Amino acid sequence: MNQIRKPPSMIGDALAQIGACGLFLVQIVAAIPKSLRHVVETIRQIWFVGAMSLVIIMTCGLFVGMVLGLQLYYVLSIFGGTAALGTVVSLSLYRELGPVVAALLFAGRAGTSITAEIGLMRATDQLAAMEMMAVDPIAYVAAPRFLAGLVAMPLLACAFNAMGIFGAHLVGVNWLGLDNGTFWSNMTSGVDVWKDVMNGVWKSIAFGGVVALIAVFQGYTTAPTSEGVAYATTRTVVFSSIVVLALDFVMTAFLM
Amino acid sequence: MTDPRAPTPNSTDAIVQVRGVRTVLGGKPIFDNIDMDIPRGRITAIMGPSGTGKTTLLRHITGQLMPDAGEIRVDGQNVPALSRDALFALRERIGYLFQNSALLTDFSVFENVAFPLRQHLQLPEELVRNIVLTKLQAVGLRGAADLMPSELSGGMARRVALARAIIRDPTLILYDEPFVGLDPIALNQVLRLIRTLNETLGITSVLVAHEFAAVARIADLGYRIAGGKVVARGTPAELTRGDAPGTKKFFGGEADGPVPFQYPSRDYAADLGFPATAGAA
Ligand SMILES: Nc1ncnc2c1ncn2[C@@H]1O[C@H](COP(=O)(O)OP(=O)(O)O)[C@@H](O)[C@H]1O
Ligand SMILES: [Mg+2]
Repeated sequence: MNQIRKPPSMIGDALAQIGACGLFLVQIVAAIPKSLRHVVETIRQIWFVGAMSLVIIMTCGLFVGMVLGLQLYYVLSIFGGTAALGTVVSLSLYRELGPVVAALLFAGRAGTSITAEIGLMRATDQLAAMEMMAVDPIAYVAAPRFLAGLVAMPLLACAFNAMGIFGAHLVGVNWLGLDNGTFWSNMTSGVDVWKDVMNGVWKSIAFGGVVALIAVFQGYTTAPTSEGVAYATTRTVVFSSIVVLALDFVMTAFLM
Repeated sequence: MTDPRAPTPNSTDAIVQVRGVRTVLGGKPIFDNIDMDIPRGRITAIMGPSGTGKTTLLRHITGQLMPDAGEIRVDGQNVPALSRDALFALRERIGYLFQNSALLTDFSVFENVAFPLRQHLQLPEELVRNIVLTKLQAVGLRGAADLMPSELSGGMARRVALARAIIRDPTLILYDEPFVGLDPIALNQVLRLIRTLNETLGITSVLVAHEFAAVARIADLGYRIAGGKVVARGTPAELTRGDAPGTKKFFGGEADGPVPFQYPSRDYAADLGFPATAGAA
């Protein structure tokens, strides 16, 4: 039927997916006013994805902070600047590692479960049932989860950063013997709320939106079989990781 | 068998009118110019072998899937031409029983049945409770109100879905294969329920099924579709007598008459790797 030659299928498929995902975002944004009627559902989702990811994100934050403490202590000791450890660690976390690593963990923990949940709703006709009850599943299912990603991600990144700084303090001050006062005072004078902290907050809001959008989209458009749900879940992790890292580069370049 | 309730063939009061519908799904023609009238206030059965498009037809009627051509008028409104808001307004008056119940897994039986009320009406909690329990009582599951869908048997889930479908007293209910997987007792209960709803509330019912004996006991009118066309139309009595071509083959359960049992396929012998011998048995 279709006489137009299609581009090689992988590139074509990828472009088609990006286009469909963009249209889906438009539908979600258009449904947000309607989804405010389901505000309880949105709050439930924020709690759900937030609480679900909190433990893993805090644990990983602690280890990342401890590693940063060790590595940067080594680097700084070459230049005789170990007093700057607190500043360097917290800048790395606020500006870069907090938003990015937390987003990758969020994709693996909350993103997959959003995709699997919505995919299963698709496969068992629950989304169609909502449509038949004149309830828009975009407003009731998709939009609350998208908003939950936007809200939960920056909070989770904050938790990640706090645990990271705690970990670096543990290594630098308690273990390697840096002066406690120097650690904190250098940090507070070296970190700017607007330039550094907010930089990371903008990033994590963007990453939260992107990961939640991909997760919801993959679940919503899954093939209605158990195999389809499995593929969709994998795609959520793969696409989220790629997009988060690529977007991180772009945002870093612009926010510098 | 006499049919005092048999509708006149050209009943003008059709709540659903299907005209010239054509559908192709995945390159496969499903409907080839189908016409159909669902009389208001009656029970109409749509029968046919599996894979003929019975579910697809219900999806057309409710606007979940648009046909490639043709008109579907529900209460005078042409479904394929409706805006999303108009479609949702129409659906608020339609009950739909999914083949696999489609209960929301996060919610209890009570909340599943209450869902349409909570989403569309701001009613006091006590009233919601009364309405939900009344409907659950009607399907015999008031005692199961606090169970979760995962704790229900298939037949129970079907009845919960039925309670949910009638919670807002629709004018039209579509049942997609409501008898599949039910034991004889549950089947009789569902049959009686469908008839009661139709008689007491005057709800127009469309029943997709292939249990002809069961359907014949309650349906006023039957359509049989096969090969993308309506092949028979009439009262259950007429369909049993087999006045229309193809009827006997289907209801007599004979395979590969006018109603093919085999999905279109290559030559059987060739598929099994035997040398092709023209005309061999
Ligand atoms: N989304 C779809 N894409 C492609 N083919 C489909 C789709 N949905 C249904 N079909 C095909 O349409 C035919 C009719 O399906 P359906 O209406 O479910 O049949 P029935 O309910 O009568 O058993 C089947 O052969 C099925 O393979
Ligand atoms: Mg079907």
